[in-house]
Amino acid sequence: MLRNVTIGWRMTVLILVGAGCILGAIIGYGYITARRLLEQELRDKACYLAEATANRIETVQRAVEKVGQGLSLQFDREMLAPADIYALLESVVLQNTEVFGSAFAPSPAFLEAYGREAPYVCRPQQPGGPLIRLSLAANNYQYETKDWYTLPRDLGRATWTEPYYDEGGGSVLMVTYAVPCYLRGRTNSFLGVVTCDVSLFWLTDLMASLDLGKRGYAFLISANGTYMTHRRKDFIMNETVFSVAEESGVPALREIGRRMLRGETGFGELISFVTGEASWFAFAPVPSTRWTVGLVFPKKELLDKVFSLSRTLALLGILGFILLLGVALAIARSITRPLRQLEAATKTLSTGNLDAPLPPIEGEDEVARLSRSFDAMRRSLKAHVEQLRATTAAKERIESEIHIARSIQMSLVPRTFPPFPDHDELELFALLDPARDIGGDFYDFFMEKDDHLCLVVGDVSGKGVPAALFMAVTRTFFRTLWNAERDPAATLARLNNELARDNEPSMFVTLFCARIHLPTGRCQYANGGHNPPFVIRADGSIERLPKVKGTLVGGLEDMQFEEGFVDLKPGETLFLYTDGVTEAMNPDEVLTGENWTIDELKKVRTRDCESLIGGMREALKSYAAGAEQSDDITMLAFRLKSVGNHEFTRINTKQ
Amino acid sequence: MTRLVQPLRSVFLAGALWSLGGSLAVGAAEPAVPSKPESATLMLLWTPQSQFAGYYVALEKGFFRKRGLEVTLLRGGPDRDQVQDLKEGRTEFTLLWLPTALSARAQGEPILHLGQVVNRSNLAIVGWKDRGVQSLKDLDGRRVSIWGGSFRPAFTTFFRAQGVKPDILTQNFSINLFLLRGVDACSVMRYNEYHMLYQCGVERHELTTFFLSDYDCPLPEDGLYCMEKTFRERPAVCRALVEASMEGWRYAAEHREEALDIVMKQVRQGHIPANRSHMRWMLDTMIDSIFPARPSDWQVGLLNREAYQKTVAILKQAGLIRKELPLDSFSVQEDCVRAP
Repeated sequence: MLRNVTIGWRMTVLILVGAGCILGAIIGYGYITARRLLEQELRDKACYLAEATANRIETVQRAVEKVGQGLSLQFDREMLAPADIYALLESVVLQNTEVFGSAFAPSPAFLEAYGREAPYVCRPQQPGGPLIRLSLAANNYQYETKDWYTLPRDLGRATWTEPYYDEGGGSVLMVTYAVPCYLRGRTNSFLGVVTCDVSLFWLTDLMASLDLGKRGYAFLISANGTYMTHRRKDFIMNETVFSVAEESGVPALREIGRRMLRGETGFGELISFVTGEASWFAFAPVPSTRWTVGLVFPKKELLDKVFSLSRTLALLGILGFILLLGVALAIARSITRPLRQLEAATKTLSTGNLDAPLPPIEGEDEVARLSRSFDAMRRSLKAHVEQLRATTAAKERIESEIHIARSIQMSLVPRTFPPFPDHDELELFALLDPARDIGGDFYDFFMEKDDHLCLVVGDVSGKGVPAALFMAVTRTFFRTLWNAERDPAATLARLNNELARDNEPSMFVTLFCARIHLPTGRCQYANGGHNPPFVIRADGSIERLPKVKGTLVGGLEDMQFEEGFVDLKPGETLFLYTDGVTEAMNPDEVLTGENWTIDELKKVRTRDCESLIGGMREALKSYAAGAEQSDDITMLAFRLKSVGNHEFTRINTKQ
Repeated sequence: MTRLVQPLRSVFLAGALWSLGGSLAVGAAEPAVPSKPESATLMLLWTPQSQFAGYYVALEKGFFRKRGLEVTLLRGGPDRDQVQDLKEGRTEFTLLWLPTALSARAQGEPILHLGQVVNRSNLAIVGWKDRGVQSLKDLDGRRVSIWGGSFRPAFTTFFRAQGVKPDILTQNFSINLFLLRGVDACSVMRYNEYHMLYQCGVERHELTTFFLSDYDCPLPEDGLYCMEKTFRERPAVCRALVEASMEGWRYAAEHREEALDIVMKQVRQGHIPANRSHMRWMLDTMIDSIFPARPSDWQVGLLNREAYQKTVAILKQAGLIRKELPLDSFSVQEDCVRAP
C-alpha cells in the first residue's frame, strides 16, 4: 500500500507510526505505573486508616472496660445500699463521657438483699438534661434473659455484648460491657452483673468523620458480623456480612467476613453492593470487642485522578503528534526535493536529450553525489554516443566498399550457367560461397579453340580483403599465363614464380587446374597443393584423382609441378572443391573430412551438375546445423556427357 | 340490590346452620360476607418474622376480610404470655405450641385446639465439632444450653430416650453464648437460629446438628387456639379464622417473594432486626413444615393423632401433665379445618 505513495509521505507515516507506538507505550506505562503506585499507596493508607480507626475505638473500649472493672470491685467488696449504688453509677456516668449508662443487676438470689432494685443510670435522650435513674427490675424488663446479664454469668468473665437496641433500658442502640460480680470474690456466690453501656452514636459519628473521598465509606461490624454502622442505614443491626453475601450471591464476601471475624487485617477488591462499583476495601480488627473496622473506596474515584493525568498526557501527545506530522512532512519534503528535481531531469535524459543539464545540488550528501554521478554518466554517455556515431559511419563506409568488392569479386568468376550452350556434350556447374562478404576462393573455366576446356579451382591463404585481392591477382595472372603456356604444369610453375616474387605479405594460393580434351575425354591436370578432386565414374564409384607433385603456389620461386592424366568416359563427372567442403564444422567443431564428402557425393552422384552442387551445399548446411561457416566453400562439377563428336586427338604426356 | 339480597342470604345461612345444630346465639351473625365485619384478634408467638407469613399474607390479601373478619394481629415476644393473654381476654385467638397448650390445659385452662399449622418439629441441637461434639453420645456431661418453659420437655425427653445426660443451662433468646463458646451445644430452631449461625459466619460443616424430627420426636408446633367459650359463642368466626390462615399459608407457599415482601413490611414496622435472606430461609423452612413432602406424612392443617399421643406421652413423662387427654376433647380441628 505504502509503495504507491511518495517517499516523503511514506517516511512521514512510518515515523509517525513509530513515534505513536512509543508515545502510546510511554503513556500506557505511565498509567499502569501510576495506578500501581496509587494502589500501593492506597493499600498502605487504607490499612493504616483502618487500623488507626480501630485503635481509636479500642482506646475508648479499653477505657470503658477499666471503668467497668473498677466498678465491679466496689460490689465485690461489700453489699451496697440501692441509694449508694445509684450515686456510684451516677458518678461513673458523669465522670466518663464514653459511658452512656451504667447498671448493677443483682442475681435473683440477691434481689431481695438489694431491695428488689436493679439500679440503672443513663444519659438523657436530649443532651444537657439530668441523668435518668431507673430500676431494671421493674416494668417487666426481665433483665435475667438479656445477653448483658446471662453472658457474663454463664461465661464467668467480663464480656462485651453484641450491639442491641435497649428497649425499656437506655432506649438507644448500644453495646454493653458486662462484668460478673461475686460476693467477696467467691465464684460460687454470683452477686450480679455490673454494666457500662456505650452508645453507638459516637461510633457512627466517628466513622462518618473519616475522610474517604466522595463515594467512599466506612463501616463497623460486630463480633458476629452484624453491621453496627454503615452507609446504608437499613443494614445496621439487620444485616450481617454473611446475610449480604447470601442475598447478593457473592461467596467471596462470606470468605472476607470470616477473615474479619478471625481478627485479620486485610485489603482487597470487590464490587460494592452499595454503589455497585468496583471498589477497594480494607479492614482491621478492634481486639477488645472483636469488632472490625472496614473501609470501602470506589476504584473509579481514585483512579480518576490517574486517568485524568493520563488523558492530559494523551492529549499533549496528540498535539505533539500533529506538530511532529508537520515537522516530519517538512523534513521529508526538503530531503526529497532534489530527488524530485533529479527525477524530472532523468526523465528528460531518458528521452535521449543528453544535452539537458542536471540540477545543481549543493552539499555532500547522497543525493548530491547521486546527482553528480548522474551528470558524469550523462556526459560520458554523450561522448560515447558521439564516438559510436563516428564509428558507425566508418563501418558503414567500409561495409559499402566491401559490398562493392564482393560484386567485383563475384564478377571475376563466371556465373552464367550453362556456360556453353552450344556444347551439349558437357555439363558444368560451379558455386562460390564466401564465409564473409568477400573471400579468397575462386574458380574459373574457359574453352579453347581446339575443343579444350580449362577448369581452375583455387584457395588463397587467409580471408577477407587481402585474400580477395590476392585471388584477383592470381586469377588475372593465371589467365594471362595460360594463354602463353596452354599447359597446366607449366602455367602453375610460371604463376608460382610471378606470385612468389616480391610477395611481401607472404600469401599463397593452392590451385588445381585441368585441361580436358572434350572429343576424347582425356584430362590433363596439375595440382599446386590443393585438395585432389574426385571423379565419379560411370559405374558410380568415386575415386580421388591420382596425386601429382606440386607445392603451394606463391610460396617459393622455381618450383616444379608434375602433370597427371585421367580419361573421362561419357557420363563421368569431375568434382572440384576447396577445403571449405572437407573442413566444414558442425557445432561440436568436428570436421566433415573426405570420407563424409565421398558419402555425400554418392547420394547425389546421379543428379545433374547443378542439382549435385545444390545437394552438396544442402548436406553441408545440415551438417553445420547452424554452426557459423568458417571457410569459403567452392565447388565445381563437370560432367562429360559424350565423346567422339569431335576429332579425337591423342595428347602425349608431357613432363 | 345489596339490600335486597342480604336479608335473604342471612335467612338462608341461618337455616343451614340451624340444621347443623349450631349455637342459636351465633346463628344470626354467621353470614359469609356479613354486613358488619366481625372483629377478632390473633396473637402470634413472637415478634414479626416469616414464622407468621401465612397470617400476614391472609391479612394483606384480604383472606380474613372476605370471610367477614376484621382481624388484628398481635405480636408476641419475650414479654408476652399467650396463654395468660388468652385467658384474660387480651386476645381471642392465639398461636400456641402443642406442648404449651397441653400443659396449660392440664392446669385446667379451658383452651381449645382449632387447627394445626406446623406439623413437623423444627427443634434441633447444634454442637461445635471443634469442641468434640461429633455424635449424640458426645453431649454426655457437656455444657448444653436449652430453652426453658414448654420448649424444654421435648429436649429432656429426647436426651432421656437417647441416653445422654448433658449439663443443661437455660438458654435465652440469643445464640451469643454458643458463639462465644460458653457452651458446647445449644438448642436451635431449624428455621431460625440454625440459619442465624450461618449468618454469623459459622459454616455448616463446623457444626454437628441433631434434628429432633429425625429421632422420632415429632412435637407438632404452631397451632391455632381459643378459649372453649369463644368457640361456643362464635364457631363460624373460629372456622373462618382457621380457613383464612391456611389460605394465607397456601398463598405464601405459591408466592414466596410476595409473601417475603409482606413479612419484611411487618418486620420494618415492628423495628425488628432482621434481613431478607434470613426471612427467606425461615419462610422456606416453615412451608416445608406445614406442607408435607409426602402426602402420607401428615394432613395439612390437622394435628396428627399419633404425633399428638407421642407429645402427650412426652409431657406426661416430664410431669407436665398427669392424665391422658383425648384429642377429641382438646381439639375441634375436624370441625374447623374441614368446615365447608
